[in-house]
Amino acid sequence: MKLQHSLGGLENVGPVSTERNVFVCEWEKRIFGIHMAMMSLSNHLPDRPDNLEFDSEWTWADLRKGAEAMNPFEYFKYRYYEKWLGGISGFIISEGYITAEELEDRASEYLEGRPPAVTGQAGQEVDDQILKYMQFGDSPKSDVEKTPRFAEKDRVRIRDNHVTDHTKLPGHLRNKIGTVVDVSDGTYSYFQHTGPDGIGDAMPVYTVVFEQDELWGELGEPNTRVYADLFEAYLDTAE
Amino acid sequence: MQSLYEYVDDREQKNAARAMALEDLLIKKGLITQDSIDTILEYFETKMGPFNGARIVARAWTDESFKQYLLQDTPGAIASMDFPTGVAGAEGEHMKAVANAPSDHNMIICTLCSCYPFPVLGLPPYWYKDPSFRSRAVREPRAVLKEFGVNLSSDVQVHLWDSSAQIRWFVVPEQPLGTEDWTEEELVKLVTPESMMGVAMVEKP
Repeated sequence: MKLQHSLGGLENVGPVSTERNVFVCEWEKRIFGIHMAMMSLSNHLPDRPDNLEFDSEWTWADLRKGAEAMNPFEYFKYRYYEKWLGGISGFIISEGYITAEELEDRASEYLEGRPPAVTGQAGQEVDDQILKYMQFGDSPKSDVEKTPRFAEKDRVRIRDNHVTDHTKLPGHLRNKIGTVVDVSDGTYSYFQHTGPDGIGDAMPVYTVVFEQDELWGELGEPNTRVYADLFEAYLDTAE
Repeated sequence: MQSLYEYVDDREQKNAARAMALEDLLIKKGLITQDSIDTILEYFETKMGPFNGARIVARAWTDESFKQYLLQDTPGAIASMDFPTGVAGAEGEHMKAVANAPSDHNMIICTLCSCYPFPVLGLPPYWYKDPSFRSRAVREPRAVLKEFGVNLSSDVQVHLWDSSAQIRWFVVPEQPLGTEDWTEEELVKLVTPESMMGVAMVEKP
């Protein structure tokens, strides 16, 4: 199990940060932009130009998987975009676009001063594809038709499937009982298959409500309800 | 264990050097252009941001039938406004609005990562992505709200919306008392990102 899958309800983590800035260091903008560019150019997207140099699949799932794979102590040690920097650099190296040495050499040049700007061969098709992704996104909604197993007001028990490297089921909901309040229209796939965890193929998604007593007992606050959007693979009947 | 928490002095310089080096190498190898990253950042400054959400909220305050439409069919209601292409773009493909009322307070969270409706709220502030908020808000929202300066009466029902699949939630805060005769344009200026996340009330200045 991974601590990163079960952050909800973790106690004694101190006061919340109230830092309202999105980026707390200027460099964080660059790694955020690199991630969005890679998502825009990912080779799973439909109608993508076939002459793009970036020819890998990169989605939110890859970024999340990287953060979930971290040593949990390091997960808390590093700021949000520091985790991105590590995960994205590692991916770009592992896909063979650059070597670790090239990255270190160029970084050393920055540590020593301000190196001359670089140029490359990428053309307008790259920035057009980026704009297209920003404008139209990448909906997980599928054409596959499936009859939902559950309906509004059904009581459901959340499954406790084994997780290998990635899940979209928050740990604090496992084995808990909730009530379906909405069945999303149609079916939804996930970027990748999560193995025994059970998502990936198109399936119905439900909004399920949990009373605070069910989740936290006396540790919760009265008059509180938690709603989660859950893939059908995570639900069983409560009976 | 101890050494895990010893930070090197030049941590930020090294991070910055690495991020800039990575961008340079992606340009050099032809994966992105020299303008790609700035194009993306500029998109978030001008096209995707809380300025869109504020317009939606102000419309909901001044037009009850629009508000009902927004709550029933969020994408349809947003598409009926005159936003440019892109308001249903990246991370806004399946948005849903929930409305506060005197008896109900809504808050958005993402306990697993940092899911957020980019087209209407822009990018999430640091605190939303920080593990302390993600751990605590789902169990003790009132205590967390107090740290943001919001004191909820104990009889108010709190609704926490965890974005764990395709839906990206946002909150229609309550219109402040005394602004009933304000125009939509005037009201837009009052709506903050935090109020659309449910960690602030909208105040009349």
